[in-house]
Amino acid sequence: MSAAGQVRLVARREITTRVRDKGFIISSLVIVLLVVGVMIFQLVAGGRTSTTSIGVVGGNPSVETALQQAGEASGTAVTVTELPDEAAARQAVADGDVDGAVLDPTGDSPQLLVESSGSVDDVVRSAVGALSVGAQLAAQGVDLQPAPTVSVTELDPSDDDTGPAVVVALVGVVVLYGLLILFGQFVAQGVVEEKSSRVVELLLSTMKPWQLLAGKILGLGVLGLAQMVLIAVVGVTGALALGVVSVPGQLIGTVLVVIGWFLVGYAFYASVFAAAASLVSRQEDLGSVLTPTTLLLVVGFFISIQAGQDPGSGLATVTSFVPGLTPLVMPVRMAAGDVPLWQVLLAVAIMAAAIALVVRVGGRVYAGALLRTGGKTKLREALRAERA
Amino acid sequence: MLEFDGLVKTYGENRVLEGVSFAVAPGQMFGFCGSNGAGKTTTMRIAMGLARADAGQVRWRGAPLDDAGRQRIGYMPEERGLYPKMKVADQLTYFARLHGATSADADRAVQEWTGRLGLADKRGERVEKLSLGNQQRVQLAAALVSGPEVLILDEPFSGLDPVGVDSLADALLERCRAGVPVVFSSHQLDLVERLCDAVGILARGRIVASGTVPELRQREGGRQLRVVVPDAGPGWAGAVPGVRVVSEQRGDTVLELDPATDDQAVLAAALRTGRVTHFARREPSLVELFREAVAA
Repeated sequence: MSAAGQVRLVARREITTRVRDKGFIISSLVIVLLVVGVMIFQLVAGGRTSTTSIGVVGGNPSVETALQQAGEASGTAVTVTELPDEAAARQAVADGDVDGAVLDPTGDSPQLLVESSGSVDDVVRSAVGALSVGAQLAAQGVDLQPAPTVSVTELDPSDDDTGPAVVVALVGVVVLYGLLILFGQFVAQGVVEEKSSRVVELLLSTMKPWQLLAGKILGLGVLGLAQMVLIAVVGVTGALALGVVSVPGQLIGTVLVVIGWFLVGYAFYASVFAAAASLVSRQEDLGSVLTPTTLLLVVGFFISIQAGQDPGSGLATVTSFVPGLTPLVMPVRMAAGDVPLWQVLLAVAIMAAAIALVVRVGGRVYAGALLRTGGKTKLREALRAERA
Repeated sequence: MLEFDGLVKTYGENRVLEGVSFAVAPGQMFGFCGSNGAGKTTTMRIAMGLARADAGQVRWRGAPLDDAGRQRIGYMPEERGLYPKMKVADQLTYFARLHGATSADADRAVQEWTGRLGLADKRGERVEKLSLGNQQRVQLAAALVSGPEVLILDEPFSGLDPVGVDSLADALLERCRAGVPVVFSSHQLDLVERLCDAVGILARGRIVASGTVPELRQREGGRQLRVVVPDAGPGWAGAVPGVRVVSEQRGDTVLELDPATDDQAVLAAALRTGRVTHFARREPSLVELFREAVAA
């Protein structure tokens, strides 16, 4: 059996073992549900698609049009309900059927009934104002022509509305962060399982440590990528169906960027986790060796959240070049659209160099520590250990 | 021929192996004996590429063992280890495939060996659910399912009940007859004596004695006599020159003779005391040979 064939066998075992594991299936479903939940939350909380319902007593079609136009101007979709009289209007407002009710909108003393003052006031005021101006001009015999349409010319297209893309990137980074932690843990647990059960000696009698490590990381990586893609498909489909995002191209582009950074991040973190895990022989000791790396992930996660609010900040810019933080921060900056290509390429190059280093040193630690059972192996010992 | 040639291994200040050499022919069962910590496991791990020798090499069919060669060896480590959560058949198939067996061959071998080792009804069970004895059988099956050209087994009999010992011994003898060289280490010297064509005793980092058990007997303690003379008084044999009394109990005497001493002189001395009911060359057991070799 060739070296590559053995790597493939190891990878296949990792995949088949995981997909038969109930815990894995449940955690996968939970993540997908979380993404759907985030989208629904976005839909409910997002101000861009808010609606306002206004009751009207004694109105006409032009009142309805005026209210809707005024609503559009202040970023809310207005639905108008005809109400028979003031009593019905008071009832509807009290019951919360409408956000406000206008009495006699075209008369001399229009009145607005609301639970308490809010955004409805402005909509109604400007609608009533517009109706009144229209009526007065008509009374003076002025024939109103529709206002000319303003054509928009974008001088700097990158300044377009990147808000939705940043939101998508942030959701993507949340998923990426979760999957890096999850699959990093899988790699680490797998390494310790082989060490604590001592099966590693049997495995290493047929192959080299690097083959075992490569197979494990590749197998779980394929699984992680599959899960990432599944979430992306669910997310993109859901986002388009629910109308959370209106520009499909921008959405898909951002999702692809996040998937790309997931692969880069996984290669980095899986190698570090595997090397760290090889130092211990019991699952109980895993926490202590993984904590430093997990902390790096958490720091990157919080910086990326901050970058979502202020993508141009110095912190975001600097940390998007720090190995380990890059995969979390860069997608958000890229979604915000103010990253020159050379910066992206530089970040990729730095990460690639970091991965090469981590694979090399991590592989040495792994090979040196793998057959040392009992207690915790010191990093220095593992690096110095003979490798058969 | 499986050859261990001049293996030297040092761990820090501790010289574990100081030139271990022996050879195992195809179809030969080689018992590897030695006190705890003598270096048996280290020797086997060097052969399996799990430790690196400072000097010396292990050869199979004249070529130094490399990764490809090791895939054709069935190995049972002293530290038993299997995937606890993997099912028996899945696990054995995996190990067979890692040794290069095709999927079909692996399946067939797993069926065969689980049947022969009494694991037929355990194929679908997770290893962690099995009794220790059955786990041991799975471990052995893992060494056998790839149809190896060579077997290297570190303490394969420890932890087995007598029935398990018999089925393992049968399996090893069968492989041996098929032309596979088998090396196994054991502290159960009676078992080694019963099964092995050749024995090597490791002490102080070297093979201090090796060969067939009859050869060892001749070399080490071939000049012992057991004489039973019921009517003789104590010390009857002490008078014969070149004879040392090993033990004496109511006329049942074990004597050790200098190479030059004629055993017929001893018989004559015995007859002078009266009736002789037993006079024979005494075959020392492997245990005694081992003690002597290790103590020397």
